[in-house]
Amino acid sequence: MSALIEVKKLFFRYEETEQDKAAPFALNGVDLTIEKGSFVAIVGHNGSGKSTLAKQFNALYYPTTGDVIVDGMNTKDDEHLFDIRKRVGLVLQNPDNQIVAGVVEEDVAFGCENLGVPPEEIRQRVDAALQAVDMYDYRLHSPDKLSGGQKQRVAIAGIMAMEPECIVLDEPTAMLDPQGREEVMAAVRQLNREKGITIILITHYMEEAVLADRVVMMDSGKVFLSGTPQEVFSHTALLKQHRLDVPQVTELCDKLKGCGWEVPACVLNEEECVTALEKLLSADKKGNVPCAVPLTEENKSEAETILSVEGLTLTYGAKTAFEKTALSEVDFAVHKGEFLGIIGHTGSGKSTLVQLLNGLLKPTEGTVSLYGRDIWKEPKKIRSVRFKVGMVFQYPEYQLFEETVYKDIAFGPKNMGLSDAEIDEKVHKAAAFAGLPEELLEKSPFDLSGGEKRRAAIAGVMAMDPDVLILDEPAAGLDPLGRDVLLSQIRDYHAVRKNTVLLVSHSMEDIAKTVDRILVMNRGKKEMLDTTQTVFSHGKALETMGLRVPQITKVMLLLQEKGYPVNTGVLTVEQAFQELLKHMTAQA
Amino acid sequence: MVRDITLGQYLPGKSVIHRLDARAKILMLLAMIVFIFVAGNFVSLSLMTLVSLLVVLLTRIPLTMYLKSMKVILLVVIFTGIINLFYGTGDVLWEWGIIRITQGGIHNAVFVTIRIITLVLISSVLTFTTSPSDLTDAIERLLKPLTVFHIKVHEIAMMMTIALRFIPVLLEETDKIMNAQKARGADMESGGLFRRVKALLPVLIPLFVSSFRRANDLAMAMECRCYNGGNGRTRMKVLHYAWRDLIAALLLLAVFAAVILCNIVGVWS
Repeated sequence: MSALIEVKKLFFRYEETEQDKAAPFALNGVDLTIEKGSFVAIVGHNGSGKSTLAKQFNALYYPTTGDVIVDGMNTKDDEHLFDIRKRVGLVLQNPDNQIVAGVVEEDVAFGCENLGVPPEEIRQRVDAALQAVDMYDYRLHSPDKLSGGQKQRVAIAGIMAMEPECIVLDEPTAMLDPQGREEVMAAVRQLNREKGITIILITHYMEEAVLADRVVMMDSGKVFLSGTPQEVFSHTALLKQHRLDVPQVTELCDKLKGCGWEVPACVLNEEECVTALEKLLSADKKGNVPCAVPLTEENKSEAETILSVEGLTLTYGAKTAFEKTALSEVDFAVHKGEFLGIIGHTGSGKSTLVQLLNGLLKPTEGTVSLYGRDIWKEPKKIRSVRFKVGMVFQYPEYQLFEETVYKDIAFGPKNMGLSDAEIDEKVHKAAAFAGLPEELLEKSPFDLSGGEKRRAAIAGVMAMDPDVLILDEPAAGLDPLGRDVLLSQIRDYHAVRKNTVLLVSHSMEDIAKTVDRILVMNRGKKEMLDTTQTVFSHGKALETMGLRVPQITKVMLLLQEKGYPVNTGVLTVEQAFQELLKHMTAQA
Repeated sequence: MVRDITLGQYLPGKSVIHRLDARAKILMLLAMIVFIFVAGNFVSLSLMTLVSLLVVLLTRIPLTMYLKSMKVILLVVIFTGIINLFYGTGDVLWEWGIIRITQGGIHNAVFVTIRIITLVLISSVLTFTTSPSDLTDAIERLLKPLTVFHIKVHEIAMMMTIALRFIPVLLEETDKIMNAQKARGADMESGGLFRRVKALLPVLIPLFVSSFRRANDLAMAMECRCYNGGNGRTRMKVLHYAWRDLIAALLLLAVFAAVILCNIVGVWS
């Protein structure tokens, strides 16, 4: 293979003003070669310089010192600019912001039109590109009617139509749901394998990185590790030091190996893990074991109910041609002080449900009761319900608006009509719960880093001291360590405040680590409501609803299917490790 | 709610009207608008209305879509209708204080209402049957002569394309931010004008910030796809006039001639 992109001693810093010249380098001496036709994943935490590097590959940024050579052309030479961008296309994170035209096929044609390709040829290229990402049937659709995964595939087609050698994808799946993520990854792999397109994938999802031929790990603007996924992910401890993660199965096998068990060097997926574990478990232990734990009958007397819904139905555009039932006849009760997870694929009605819980939407039928009282009994007092049932939306940082972080957090308490002293106390408490350092309070929210903004926005809801706190995908888009820290802070908040917390998430690993019970939504209906262990032991049923179970639970379910009497109510790597150890020591 | 608006929406199809050249459609629409105003009596106006209805039928777009676009301007129609009711001369039919309804007033009100409805119908035809990019492309080509006066016609057309693309995105975002602020107890439904405007700040500021972020992203995405202004740019769909555009234009000319005739006859009688 020959080199397509060569990065040589690349140093780079953002130099927009004079002061910036004293700033540290964002890229700190990167040397990297990308082979033609390869699939390279670049991983690193937020701020590691990986996105900055991505923008060097197609001359959006130029090196401060050092060189980037694309197919023999230096990105510093202006005359090659369009030749370079023709060869190396870039797909960005936000699917909405990179689509220019109002019709799919016209957007895909945009690049070719800029290059002055003759009309008949553009037509052919556009059709071919749309077929390559499996979006041909949607060519006449308007982009805003598509799902995130579909939009992102349109963006990829827009690059493909320019017939590039290489596509750089800068966290293309960060804002997508699991299904969208799968669609995009499938399209990317297909382009790599079938069309020989070189792929550079910037990501912090380790499950995506393992699909690459080569993984490059970056931190502080430098390349720390580079090699096959097996080589890179065998450095579990080092990756964790650099705020990254490894797949759960890799971590499990690494742990077993640490105790002296014989496990292959690096296990990257569920099948490999099951094969490795089978060798360690004794075959004579096999036998018929009961399948999924039966769902327990809901025991209402056991716990005090804080929030309950009955026959909850919501129909959009009722009595018109566009009638669409988002939620139908949902009944359940939330126990006081519990940590409840809500899962369901996109469109299952979970967002509608949570907006009904705090009175942002009004049910078409059925009731929502807080402390046993219908919240819509006095529609004029609905605001007071919103103070008691706090709601943190997805990407809450987009709601920040005040001059200082302090004022922004105080917005909620102020609307409640509290005195200045009370507000002050609540703001400081909330900031502490959200892990926001005091010195940031007097800063402008727009000067904070992405993670800090998220914390400020969450603090803004916590400051209202709600009895029930609902969080919709609070960790979306954060890097692995950021996600873990935020979740543990929310757990601490729950433990200290002893209030009720509802967590809506697509990440089954996060749900497994955090909640006591899970509510499963499917097609606008309640499908299950039970303890975390019980729900996740129904792996098959969840799969039919477009959901998964955590990777580690999946491994245990696979082992059970093969006849090993392992406990499938395992939710974390540590639990799996203990459980397996029990069976293996018995054998030894 | 905001997403129910059909005015300005494109509905793909293969009707004769869809296939007319976008430039021809714009020019013919302008001519139609002029003649809807030229039509001075009921005979000539109903001729224009009939022609407009015929065009509407030819688009093969469900009439409900036209009715929905009508809904948006319903208030305007009713308002102008009522205002016209009180102005006019002729036999007094009903009187109460200073309010007086005359035969002429009723005549005026009906006339103006039909005129507005016809205008909206025929304008909806253009946006319903022409894709936004054809529309902006056509505007760009029609305005091309203005480049002589250093008017950046391509840039204007590109801005229109982007605006059309992002209107639904920003509407959805507005909805989201409003909900987020309402969840923090923002009260946007009560209070006087000043209070309400002030209550909108928590929505407007994040919306501005996000628009800038989006603009930044979009600029980068456009650069990645070698956008370099209008020079040397080709189009996938090239607009060209066909025989059907000529026929449509000739038919319209005949209609206009009839309208003028009706007007003259109207004046004589």
